Amino acid sequence: MLIQQILQSCILGIGMLGIPVLVGSLFDGLFSHVDAPLPRLLSRWISGQMLLWACFQSICVPMILRKLRFSKVVYVYCALTAVLMLVAVGVMVKRKQQCRGSLRIVQERTWLKKRRNRILWGLFGAILLFQLVQAIRLTYADWDDAFYVAISSITAESDSMYQILPYTGGTTGLEARHGLAPFPIWIALLAKLSGVRAVSVAHVVVPVVLIAMTYGIYCLIGLYLYNGSGEKLPLFMIFTELLVLFGNYSIYSAENFMIARSRQGKAALGNIVVPVLFLLFLLLMEKIQLEKKISLSYWCLLFAVMLSACLCSTMGAVLADLLLAVAGGCIVVGYRRWKLLLPLGVCCLPGGIFLLLYLVLR
Amino acid sequence: MWSEVSGLFRDYMGSGLVVLWFLLSVCYLFVREKRKHIRILFVYVPLLLLAIFFNPFVAGKVYAQVGLEVYYRILWLIPFTVVIAFTVVEIYGKLRGRKRKAFLAVAAGILMVSGSLIYSSPLFRVAENMYHVPQSVVEICDAIEVEGREVRAVFPAELIQYVRQYSPLVCMPYGREILVKRWGNRDELYDLMEAEEIDAQALANAARARECHYIVLAEEQKIKGALQDQDYELFDAMQGYVVYKDATVTLEYR
Repeated sequence: MLIQQILQSCILGIGMLGIPVLVGSLFDGLFSHVDAPLPRLLSRWISGQMLLWACFQSICVPMILRKLRFSKVVYVYCALTAVLMLVAVGVMVKRKQQCRGSLRIVQERTWLKKRRNRILWGLFGAILLFQLVQAIRLTYADWDDAFYVAISSITAESDSMYQILPYTGGTTGLEARHGLAPFPIWIALLAKLSGVRAVSVAHVVVPVVLIAMTYGIYCLIGLYLYNGSGEKLPLFMIFTELLVLFGNYSIYSAENFMIARSRQGKAALGNIVVPVLFLLFLLLMEKIQLEKKISLSYWCLLFAVMLSACLCSTMGAVLADLLLAVAGGCIVVGYRRWKLLLPLGVCCLPGGIFLLLYLVLR
Repeated sequence: MWSEVSGLFRDYMGSGLVVLWFLLSVCYLFVREKRKHIRILFVYVPLLLLAIFFNPFVAGKVYAQVGLEVYYRILWLIPFTVVIAFTVVEIYGKLRGRKRKAFLAVAAGILMVSGSLIYSSPLFRVAENMYHVPQSVVEICDAIEVEGREVRAVFPAELIQYVRQYSPLVCMPYGREILVKRWGNRDELYDLMEAEEIDAQALANAARARECHYIVLAEEQKIKGALQDQDYELFDAMQGYVVYKDATVTLEYR
């Protein structure tokens, strides 16, 4: 029993941390400001997860629409992930060969040099740990779980996707609003691969991982804002935590969703996809200001994030496009870079296609 | 449309203090922040998004497609948390000496008072197991599950939302949809189950008509008559609930 639990934990750890970090190394060149080991790991983890979510959305929705078995999604997704991992390993080996002979840059861990910074980071870590423990220890009674978590459980058990009524168990046809945003199927996939019950994956594993990931994104944003130095970054992180912890000013706030309903796709949309988009906008503006070339990998990652928004929620397709249009428009006008309009427009395509699908299917 | 949208915004704001700090932060950044990328992301984009949110044309279009129930999610695109935290740290950076620490303490205090601790919500409670569903649901479902087939059971309202999260093999005659009053669903069996004093004969007839193999009732539930007299035999009792099984149906047990 204990060995089985350890094995299941290892599988979940590999699936939610190891594989995204490996796949995320494909985007290493993008985050040039992130040169310390821990932030680099964060940037890989987050960008890798975005790519994996985008792949999952791309293969899962067509299979849902064709009413294929869930196990087929599992096989195809695993095969695709294996290919991505191989490509990532190949790129890493190639990079290593190119770097051979060059001087090794020793990173200074400036953020831990001062005692004060250590205390502030320690405080941040303690509050984060508290939130993660609370995510395991406490449960939040939300009626929407009766739909989303039940979908995950049914999918993992019955090998069908959106063919069974989650509330009662009768058969049903596809409801476009939910079938086009199969975040619960992703949870079912984790359950299937690990052997852990979907209800545990949804209520315990996913919240812990996604809450940590949200702060990872805020940390990367903070690194851009403060150039990674001094005490400002840990202070920023602590105040972010305070605002999240005391974000129960209404049940609609994104912070409330992050802590209370993190297993639902809409929470991932508001607290992971949207902050990642802000991170990518900061990255874009930095590249423009430094007159650096905006690489193809940047647009690939932005495209993947837009697809991930569609995975989280049907409304995510519209919201991500809206944010891209507003922020992208401001960047284009603010920096007079009209050439950006075309790639930005291409990145709006996933949202547009899924919105169109929704209007056709509903 | 304006009243609906402003109502949504009021609901989203709660006490309104966090949004007030956000707007003050935006004003501060508008006046003091010179870096273009910060101004774009933390001033212009949020203001434009707010303008879009309050635009009656946009609200009307969204309402026509999906209803206003999810319209508030446009506000998720506004980085309230990042902008406020960033502004606090920026102001801190401009202060010197003791003022810095005092400012941090005051800012933290104000932000904590402005919101409400997320774990103070009455909907949070200590999980009874690693499934985060009531232990009663776990034990009842484990007891009534039959290998290789689904079973149908009718549960009291307080357990309904958890049953199929834990076990997709346990079907129900009605689910969470019956609990949401604004959806306007009615169900005769639900009314019988939730009556102050349950009529055993009426409940048994209604449950059997809906092919319920099991009836689950709270131990303290008042019952007029006995379910055993209606061919629902006592199957098990656990965690404050009693499970009755339809004696006229044969189910294969493990």
